[in-house]
Amino acid sequence: MPRLGEKTQYWLLVLPALAIMIAFYIVPVLGIWQISVTEPASGFGNFAKAAQSNAVKTSFVLTFRVAAVTTVGCVLLGYIVAYAISNYAGRLTPLMLALVILPFWVSVLIRSFSWIVLLGRSGLVNDSLRGAGLIDSPLRLMHNEFGVLVAMIHVMLPFAILPMLTNMRGIPDAYVKAARGLGASEWTAFRQVYFPQTLPGVMSGALLVFVLSLGFYVTPALLGGGRVLMISEYITYQIQEFLAWGLGSALSVILLIATALVLLIAARFVNLRNALLERK
Amino acid sequence: MTETTDFEAKRDIAEIAVERYKQGRLTRRGFIAAMGALGILPALNSKVSAQAKEIVVVNWGGTAKDVLQEVMCDTYTAETGIPVVVDGSGPSAGKIRAMVESGAVVWDLCDSGAGSAIILEQQGMSQPIDYSIVDKSKVLEGTAYTNGVGNYVYSYVLATNPKMLGGNVPQSWEDVWNVKDFPGMRTFRKSVRGQLESATMAQGVAPEDVYEVLGTEDGIAAAIAKFRELRDNIIVWGSGSDSQNLFLQEEVAIGNIWSTRAHLLKDQMDEGAFQVSFNGGVIAPGIWVVPKDNPAGSEEVMKFIAHAQDPALQVKWLEMIGSGPINPEAAALVPAELAPWNPSSPENLATQILYNDEWYAKNQVSAEEMYIDALIN
Amino acid sequence: MMPVSPFRIFFQTGAWMVTAFLVLPLLVVIPVSLTDTSYIGLPKEHLSLQHYANYFASPDWLKATWTSIWIGTIVATCATVLGTSFAIGCWFLSDRASAIARWVLITPILVPPVVQSLGFYRFWVKLGLIDTSTGVILAHTLLALPYVSISVFAALANLDRNIPRAARSLGASVRQTVMAVIVPAARPGMLTGFVFAFIVSFDEIVGVLFITVRRVTTLPKQIWEGIQDNIDPTIASVATLLVILTLIVTAIGALRRS
Repeated sequence: MPRLGEKTQYWLLVLPALAIMIAFYIVPVLGIWQISVTEPASGFGNFAKAAQSNAVKTSFVLTFRVAAVTTVGCVLLGYIVAYAISNYAGRLTPLMLALVILPFWVSVLIRSFSWIVLLGRSGLVNDSLRGAGLIDSPLRLMHNEFGVLVAMIHVMLPFAILPMLTNMRGIPDAYVKAARGLGASEWTAFRQVYFPQTLPGVMSGALLVFVLSLGFYVTPALLGGGRVLMISEYITYQIQEFLAWGLGSALSVILLIATALVLLIAARFVNLRNALLERK
Repeated sequence: MTETTDFEAKRDIAEIAVERYKQGRLTRRGFIAAMGALGILPALNSKVSAQAKEIVVVNWGGTAKDVLQEVMCDTYTAETGIPVVVDGSGPSAGKIRAMVESGAVVWDLCDSGAGSAIILEQQGMSQPIDYSIVDKSKVLEGTAYTNGVGNYVYSYVLATNPKMLGGNVPQSWEDVWNVKDFPGMRTFRKSVRGQLESATMAQGVAPEDVYEVLGTEDGIAAAIAKFRELRDNIIVWGSGSDSQNLFLQEEVAIGNIWSTRAHLLKDQMDEGAFQVSFNGGVIAPGIWVVPKDNPAGSEEVMKFIAHAQDPALQVKWLEMIGSGPINPEAAALVPAELAPWNPSSPENLATQILYNDEWYAKNQVSAEEMYIDALIN
Repeated sequence: MMPVSPFRIFFQTGAWMVTAFLVLPLLVVIPVSLTDTSYIGLPKEHLSLQHYANYFASPDWLKATWTSIWIGTIVATCATVLGTSFAIGCWFLSDRASAIARWVLITPILVPPVVQSLGFYRFWVKLGLIDTSTGVILAHTLLALPYVSISVFAALANLDRNIPRAARSLGASVRQTVMAVIVPAARPGMLTGFVFAFIVSFDEIVGVLFITVRRVTTLPKQIWEGIQDNIDPTIASVATLLVILTLIVTAIGALRRS
């Protein structure tokens, strides 16, 4: 057997996974682009239709709005947790960490189901509030944007916490100590010294949550009551109900491009390599 | 090719074919063709044709699945010895297309709707109905399509929960849009089907003029505007069971839902907590659709459809699940106490309008767009 | 001891409140699963195990569970083998081309689920893989690969490049070096990757909704159809079993680490 070059042998290790990824994933996803300009007729008719449609525009605006609010919510709440875990080591810190990661292992479907149980008109929240005499008639917590946002933040929160945690753990406490030693208050030291160092973590967390939220399907479909029609659900609806593959594919292409644009813009602020490729 | 294949190889191929066929990866037709090519069909023939006679009927699950099985299928098996099973996994147009395109069709007959039947016909996913076996005169006029035939009727009706509303129940679509006097959430379908009609009647249009008014762009825009006006009080239902759940879990007190689901709800809800009015309803046919390349073959399925046209069975169906008889002969057999729940009883027909396929063929796609925009914007 | 500042109180109580927000909603399924009613709600008169009995007596639920388990195991195995080999190759190469390959491999994380599922569907139609377990396994393996490759690569990050170099200079072949030096170092990453891959497959729903019709039903699909069809408390009992299983595994993991 002829001896293969060192490099060739390493490529042989890389190749199987790469080949099936290209053949069975990249090619099919690119196939969507083809469908979008060939069905039902050749040309850019589907894109023209999408551009003219108010429903499509509304759905895109809605999608970006929900993703943005989810991102802000996750970053704010996640920051508090990540900060506490990395700065106040105590007996209970490992427990908190385990509890924060726990929802990661429970499927999105089950977590959405839990929120249906909680937020319904005769769900647990409304029942307890009524039982305590705090409200007379049930609050509308579900089948609207509020319900979708609460559940989405719940689902996405761990994605925000983990990058921030990794980042904060790498920050030496010497700087804050020095600032405090020079007489800065705890708040000032945090704001001027600590917080700027956490920005890379915040950005990666935000990026991850935003990109995942853009394409989210399950939670809005289950909790939105049909009125929080995010673009993924809109695509599914076009295809399942009307077999409108051309339009559905065109919308998919637009969503893909939107996602890519977000990543490109983010690349200016976030080290994508650290945020995505070398995640721990 | 068969000349050079030795016996061992042949048996091996046959075994693979049998295996694939069992797994459903080979269609019955493909299987028989493969066996024929190998020259071993005769030996296996009896077995295959015995299996070939099973008919799989698909509907939308829940109680309807068991009722269809008992009323239509078991009676057919008793008569002919051919097993018929009901699968309740919901034959949406998307799933039927998925199955036909996958080349492994396991469904023989689908409980579809007029809209889907037409789309599937256009896309070549369904088979023509053989009207020499299925009797055209035993279905409501206008429900015998080339690739689909009526199987029962249902209506879009005004359903209410008097208990939640404190006895103050809306009587008309106009009342449904009156949030001041009738507060609370309403549910409408996540599609304009049967919904734009009610919004048009809510503007005071007489039922018989509805499709004429909707025939103009202004008419559609006005109906859409009505939904925009009401949208903060709307939860949308996607599937029939969705609408049922919304009432069961008291998420809504008012809704435009299918009469078949209403029929189930009247038994599931507490006494006095559910009421239905056919006034201003839209009556529509359920449509049998036979997917292309169905495993049992066209003829077997046609015979089953013909069996299900029996008026006595259709009345039984109404009794158990609220599906209105599609066979005009059945009306005379409906017991008096059931007549109010029968969408196709003469009294209920008088206050309803018939779902207008032509209007939908022309306007549905653009109307759906506007409808969704109105609901989410 | 330093007096506890308001600053610290804010972050610590805040963190526990957020943690409660994360965990408590998972636990609501427990009382609901024990309800004696036939609809979703708290137990009315007594606790009942009827919905668990229902789960264990239902061939549909059990079959779906079993399907998810065996498909998940195959997916995790395939993805771990392919992903580990990939990450090791890239680790050795560490050049621009291999960096691009690594980006290609993580695209499934970034592409929206509905979009990739449309792609799968159309392609699987051509290949005749619709509604087959092979089709599901292939799709899930692709979705799981990024997680394996990332975690194996992370495990190799601390490996001293001189060790394999030394092995090579002592005459070991690439194969021997990989088996004797790299794989042991990658093992923790492989384990994490395996678990991730299993979970990805076990929880995946959107793809399954598109590429299966009737013959293949996984647990998430069964739950999805249950929620859509009639929300009965059996789903709560399934959810409870899964949540408790997760709690136990997490606890074991935490104990082993401490």
